[in-house]
Amino acid sequence: MPVLVACFKWVVDEAYIRRTSAGELDLSSVSYKISDYDRNALEEAARMKEASGGSVLAVTVGVPESTKGVKDALSRGADQAFFIADPSFGMLGASETAAILAEVIRTRIGNFDLVLCGEGSSDLYNQQVGIRLAERLGIPCLSFVQKLELEEGRVVAERRLEDGIERVSAPLPAVVTVLPDINIPRIPGVKDTLSASRKPVVTIGKDDLAVAPDAHFRTISLAASRLDRQCERFGADETDIRRFIGALRQKGVLR
Amino acid sequence: MDFRLTEEQELIRKNMREFAEKYVDPIAAEIDENSRHPAELFKKLAEGDWMGIPIPQEYGGAGADYLTHTLVVEELSRSCSSTGFTVSIHVGIACMLVNLFGSEDQKKKFLVPMAKGQHLGAFVLTEPGAGTDVMAATTTAMAEGADYVINGTKTFTSNGPTGDTYMVFAWTDKAAGRKGLSAFIVPRGTVGMKAGEHFNKMGLRSSQTSEMVFKDCRVPKENLLGKEGNGLAMAMTGFDHGRVGIAAQSVGILQAALDESIRYSKERVQFGTPIARHQAISWMIADMATDLSAARYLTYAAACLKDQKQPFSKEASMAKLFAAEAAMKHTIKAVQIHGGYGYCKGAKVERLMRDAKITEIYEGTSEAQRMVISGNVLR
Ligand SMILES: Cc1cc2nc3c(=O)[nH]c(=O)nc-3n(C[C@H](O)[C@H](O)[C@H](O)COP(=O)(O)OP(=O)(O)OC[C@H]3O[C@@H](n4cnc5c(N)ncnc54)[C@H](O)[C@@H]3O)c2cc1C
Repeated sequence: MPVLVACFKWVVDEAYIRRTSAGELDLSSVSYKISDYDRNALEEAARMKEASGGSVLAVTVGVPESTKGVKDALSRGADQAFFIADPSFGMLGASETAAILAEVIRTRIGNFDLVLCGEGSSDLYNQQVGIRLAERLGIPCLSFVQKLELEEGRVVAERRLEDGIERVSAPLPAVVTVLPDINIPRIPGVKDTLSASRKPVVTIGKDDLAVAPDAHFRTISLAASRLDRQCERFGADETDIRRFIGALRQKGVLR
Repeated sequence: MDFRLTEEQELIRKNMREFAEKYVDPIAAEIDENSRHPAELFKKLAEGDWMGIPIPQEYGGAGADYLTHTLVVEELSRSCSSTGFTVSIHVGIACMLVNLFGSEDQKKKFLVPMAKGQHLGAFVLTEPGAGTDVMAATTTAMAEGADYVINGTKTFTSNGPTGDTYMVFAWTDKAAGRKGLSAFIVPRGTVGMKAGEHFNKMGLRSSQTSEMVFKDCRVPKENLLGKEGNGLAMAMTGFDHGRVGIAAQSVGILQAALDESIRYSKERVQFGTPIARHQAISWMIADMATDLSAARYLTYAAACLKDQKQPFSKEASMAKLFAAEAAMKHTIKAVQIHGGYGYCKGAKVERLMRDAKITEIYEGTSEAQRMVISGNVLR
């Protein structure tokens, strides 16, 4: 019976970010969500368990306010959660997050078969945590996974690469980082959400950890990206195409 | 005073929003246009336990509180108010009546499949000659051996053509006045009960509304709901619960009107500037947002009172009255903000405006709510 570990990050839901008229990002009324691809990781773990038994353990590193995220993860099929929380964990870099996850997975879970992560997080999309976590745990990592199976002590995965699809396998335990194509995450039903509150959560504080990562990152400023439009219109006839090229030259886009 | 929802309530609301965006938004205009009951959607709603939220799990429900049900009706109505209403009347009145007044056997037999969403409930009270004046009803239920025999014609029954389990109100003793009305659970297929064609309505078009004709319709005595003569009191309790749902439906409509108005007024440029920058428009939106908040708090407050087992009849009427009138007033404004485009099919605000009107009429007109409220405060 496989022990599946699904890692997830509780992030700002970008749908709630507003842009002020001064071009700044307004985060005052944001809501949070499980990072998109991490939902796929949780879903894949839950489906594997539903198909062939075993257990799903959801693990997250974040600020203490992320309790709702823990319940959200538990409502998506996980049996138990490990919630590693500290007020300073809001701005961890990938290497610190990976170090914390590795320690908790090694010391608190121990006998695991597969760790599933999202390919990257919805907020930063560094695509680093999964790979670094595998390195810390000293086990294989398969990234860009769009299809996944467990076969007698091995994980078999389809990796989607730029120039094709690669079918690879690795011995367990292993880490996989999944793409959104791997599945369509469920929408938890009412009972799923209600029963999430009754599932066990292991809360781990900074003092309980042997690694003592300090946040290396500091947010200096946040700005909205800008896209200025000139609103000039051109037709498709010869004179307009000439005008169009002229305009591009004038703006320095063409030399 | 704590105005926050619990984490579970927030998650359930978020999940319903996602559900509605995925499954309801894409069909809302079509089911309105064609007056179609989306059976496939209700199957999905049943799968996610959305059709019996406040009913205990032992009777097929999710076992959550009434506020959670209220939030779900609101989010559904934001996408399609017909669908939100169908869930509201099914849960808030039909399921609730059996849950509150049904015997253990009735709960096992009728409530479990309803709360699981396998059977759709209906509330059969109004008659052609008895709308606001419930006492003018003429449908009778005569005791005959082991049965009651129901005769009469009901109208405006929501889920009439599509329902499975009907809560039917009829006189068992007309002479007893307010103590003479009784309620019966009548399952679909009972000989003598027939649903008419569904009405072609201004709004709320995918909710199926019809006449229900009873001709020597025999129901066994074990289908009497509660005690003989308690029909009126039970109907009023049903209304208390249902009205919180209609208030939530109105809040959902209002939220949708605000969403659409904000989006459109920022995009639409006239006189060289987005119309949102014209004060006439921005003030309409300010008033809309303010009434939305007021309606929402009245609605949640009524639901919370219910959850705290306090009397909530007056509060339910206030929430329904205010939210319904606000929904009507501001959907008219939302169409105004959209100009000619808002008057055409395809604009969501056009549907919202037609759908809003019914909230001022059913489960007691606004006038009837004022009677309830004034009756309470002038006592
Ligand atoms: C789409 C739809 C769905 C419905 N679903 C259901 C359902 O599922 N089950 C069910 O039983 N019924 C249902 N109804 C019926 C609905 O509850 C009634 O239409 C409503 O109660 C009003 O009754 P009426 O239409 O007969 O209007 P009337 O009672 O004739 O009222 C006409 C007007 O007179 C006003 N009025 C009446 N009496 C007074 C008074 N004393 N003082 C001041 N003003 C007064 C009313 O407010 C209204 O403005 C539904 C109706 C519709 C349109």
